[in-house]
Amino acid sequence: MSTKVTGRPAFFQSYGQELALFNTRPKKVGVALVVLVAVLGPFFLQDPLLRTLSLAFVFAIGALGLNMVTGLAGQVSLGHAFFVGIGAYTAAAISGDPDARTIGFGVQEMWVWLPAAGIVAALFGVLVAPIATRLRGLYLAIVTLGLVFLGEHVFREWSSLTGGAGVGRSAADPVLFGFDFSQSSSDSSFTGPQQLYSLMLALLLVFALAARNIGRSKVGRSFAAVRDRDMAAEMMGIDLPRAKTLAFALSSFYAGCAGALLYTISGFFDPGSFSLLLSVQFIAMVLIGGAGTVGGTIAGALFVSLLPTLSRELPRFLTFLSSSPAETPNVFQVEQILYGLLIVVFLLFEPRGLYGIWVRLRTYWKSWPFSY
Amino acid sequence: MSVLDQAPAGAHAATTSPATRIREHARVRPRAVALRDKHLGVWRPWTWAHYWDQVELVGHALLARGVQPGDRVAIHSENRPEWLVADMGALAVRAASVGLYPSNPAAEVGYLLADSGAVVLVAEDQEQVDKALEVLAQGGAPALRTIVYVEPRGVRGRYEATYGQATLVSWEDFLAEGVQHRETHPGAVDALTDAARPDDLATLIYTSGTTGPPKGAMLTVANVEFAIKVLCEEGGFTSPPPGPDDLLLSYLPLSHVAERIFTTWFNAAAATQVCFAESIDTVPQDLREVQPTILFGVPRIWEKLLAGVETRLTGATRFKRLSTRYWLKRASAIAAAVEANGGEHTRATRLQYALGWLFCYRSLTERLGMRRVRHATSGAAPIAPEVLTFFSSIGVPMHEAYGMTENTAVATSAKPGRIRLGTVGEAHRGVEVRIDEQTGEILTRHAGVFAGYWGRPEATAEVLDPDGWLHTGDVGEWVDGSFLKITDRMKDIIITAGGKNISPSQIENELKASPYVKEALVVGDGRTYLTALIGIELDTVGEWAQRQRLGYSTLRDLTEKPEVVELLTTVVDDVNSRLASVEQVKVFRLLPKELDHEDGELTASQKVKRAAVVAAFDDLVESMYDGRPAAATGAQR
Repeated sequence: MSTKVTGRPAFFQSYGQELALFNTRPKKVGVALVVLVAVLGPFFLQDPLLRTLSLAFVFAIGALGLNMVTGLAGQVSLGHAFFVGIGAYTAAAISGDPDARTIGFGVQEMWVWLPAAGIVAALFGVLVAPIATRLRGLYLAIVTLGLVFLGEHVFREWSSLTGGAGVGRSAADPVLFGFDFSQSSSDSSFTGPQQLYSLMLALLLVFALAARNIGRSKVGRSFAAVRDRDMAAEMMGIDLPRAKTLAFALSSFYAGCAGALLYTISGFFDPGSFSLLLSVQFIAMVLIGGAGTVGGTIAGALFVSLLPTLSRELPRFLTFLSSSPAETPNVFQVEQILYGLLIVVFLLFEPRGLYGIWVRLRTYWKSWPFSY
Repeated sequence: MSVLDQAPAGAHAATTSPATRIREHARVRPRAVALRDKHLGVWRPWTWAHYWDQVELVGHALLARGVQPGDRVAIHSENRPEWLVADMGALAVRAASVGLYPSNPAAEVGYLLADSGAVVLVAEDQEQVDKALEVLAQGGAPALRTIVYVEPRGVRGRYEATYGQATLVSWEDFLAEGVQHRETHPGAVDALTDAARPDDLATLIYTSGTTGPPKGAMLTVANVEFAIKVLCEEGGFTSPPPGPDDLLLSYLPLSHVAERIFTTWFNAAAATQVCFAESIDTVPQDLREVQPTILFGVPRIWEKLLAGVETRLTGATRFKRLSTRYWLKRASAIAAAVEANGGEHTRATRLQYALGWLFCYRSLTERLGMRRVRHATSGAAPIAPEVLTFFSSIGVPMHEAYGMTENTAVATSAKPGRIRLGTVGEAHRGVEVRIDEQTGEILTRHAGVFAGYWGRPEATAEVLDPDGWLHTGDVGEWVDGSFLKITDRMKDIIITAGGKNISPSQIENELKASPYVKEALVVGDGRTYLTALIGIELDTVGEWAQRQRLGYSTLRDLTEKPEVVELLTTVVDDVNSRLASVEQVKVFRLLPKELDHEDGELTASQKVKRAAVVAAFDDLVESMYDGRPAAATGAQR
């Protein structure tokens, strides 16, 4: 019988309906279309762009993690690069060649090293959390900033694990059940970048879905309550230390996984990669995309990751810019300035990020023919 | 034709009543949704099984409290499931319900309780309980034994010392008494429901009483069943007839016969799903959420929604405003073209409408909450044709209907595809309507004509002929043979000093079609020219004043601004330009306050009490006829 009422988007009969993954049909259709375009990517995009996009997808996974602790739970973290590094080294060590000069255990399967990287990073997150739960705002930012410097020092000095500064080590290989995604398949129907792109896209979809589901679960809603007012959240019966610890653990898990995947694409990495700049890049993704939303974060990650591709084109139009890092001014400097500039501009004019722009556009048409 | 014929006296054929219909739905579709009320942001469903269970419990509880068949049970509440449960619970044990308007002040509550002799009162909350207790303290309503309160806030634990459980009982405890009674007397309610007779009193509906104190119209089970048959099952009010997939929003007072039909009786007869609005103020929001398929409104609601469109358009961005204005203009052009083509779309108008639907009408109706309305009805008072055309031109199928409490609202309605603007449509099937040759009064005769006024045989004799014709008190005429056009209430017709008969309500409705006018009262009986008292709509005029950068503090302050008088002058002039010279409003004054039920200027159903208003603003009226030059207010043209 007709207990279900259809075609009335604002008619909520239960809270579950309000919390649904896609509470309206246009959302469902829109997401399906975007995913479809993304899946068809390998068939019409060139290998270099596919490579950039796969990297962007991995960055998006990392940004989703930062979004969970900063966007959802409201805890500013500048230490994201540290957790990314933990993940990268865990994965590299597990899958590394036992006979090489760096530590390696020779377990090449991704289903082992990927979760392991996440879990180890999450453990570090839990270790840091007790400090973080006692601090707020600027103080928390400073403490997490300290993590980055600690990490940088340890990674530089522990050369049996990391290969040492300026030398580096080979990263984990993306091998799943004996199939190496980075090598073009035996019948060469797909190239390496095409396969990597598909793998990263699939992983991003899994992580994004998980992030969205965490966001609308009891845990995610408690994060949002903590963000909006921690004291009020405590009054509602939310265990603050527990919520914050969980936020850090989940965020670090995402960071660890992103770290593990990040260098499988280039195959090699250096301990200097996990600097403050990486943390700032992640923050830029979350802030430009729109703090607190999954769709916005992914858009921000794509935007920031594709920025270098765009800025490399600059010397063609601005002849005084050099494309060589040795000369000044060069495009790499411009890139770094752009990150900072974009963060400033977005925070000043569009604090809700790309997602905010989208919401404004959507509201304009949703409120048609009125303005409110 | 009537239900009486189906159940001849003496036979044991069970009488159908709304109560038996609900019991039947509970048996056939126990898990389908019957009612919905908004609770903490969610539309909570009530299934048929639950609905009937509650009705049965109230029936048992009433029996436990010693209610006999024929007793009256008063209900004083906003629209909510408990209203229906109490109403149907009373009907199930052959008692009659009496609906009180939530806005009724204590004095009127006392009058209604005493006049109806209600033994049980279901009061919604502390506000209504306090009114009833005030009546009890003054010794009014001697028959009242029990007050049941639905909302415990502010009542529970406060009055218990003074009034024991015997007098004041909470809804939960009342239902618990029902549970207990059901265990000791199983089937008692069922037996009474089955024993119902067609001439059982089903409900007392008090007329609004624009001239005297309210009179209780006695509607029997047969009256109600006849109304259900004509208005619901034969599609008299909604064609094609309503069904289980139809959603309705219940927001007008259930003590009025119209809302009772659309909410309670439609639901009982056709298993429509009723959604209860949170309050009268949230109606626009509730409409948007529910998107009902059948919508009933009184003219005041339609006028207010129209004014809302106007206000929000002026606040919209330039592009949206220009686009919508354009498409609204197209809409009336399309409507005119369709009307000229005999009610059928031509290819050109269809194409234009389709474009307009894409750019404006679809989203506009969605925002108004009327996107899915398949049959909209306006009734209970006269409405300006402009308001009706606006809604039908944007794709809301509007129909006017005519009826009154005394004939269970069964008389005429506009049928889909057969609409004459300015008329209230054609008589329903099996309903006799005629116009008295001498007086022009409309008379109706059918099985829905009431049994008489409660305790007032002389008042009954005034309106009910021995041969069954009901005098409606409305003056009307036939248009195109079968369409009824209402001129006015008989006692409201103005005869000017020049001997012209003028119907004030038509002029008033033209004025009220403006978004700036809330109330209009045309005066001129025995005078040389017509004048009007106009109450402004505070929302729209206030917004207009803000846009003109005109500071104001109160409504009174606003009405004294020369700019506002100027604004209303343009409204009056515009209406005058469409009227014959004798019908034109020569002078007007703005009412310095909003008309109010508590001050006795409006009836409970928000109808203006003419005599009371004219008496209250005697100085304003006289100033319009003094021959003195019109001062700051009003203008003589």
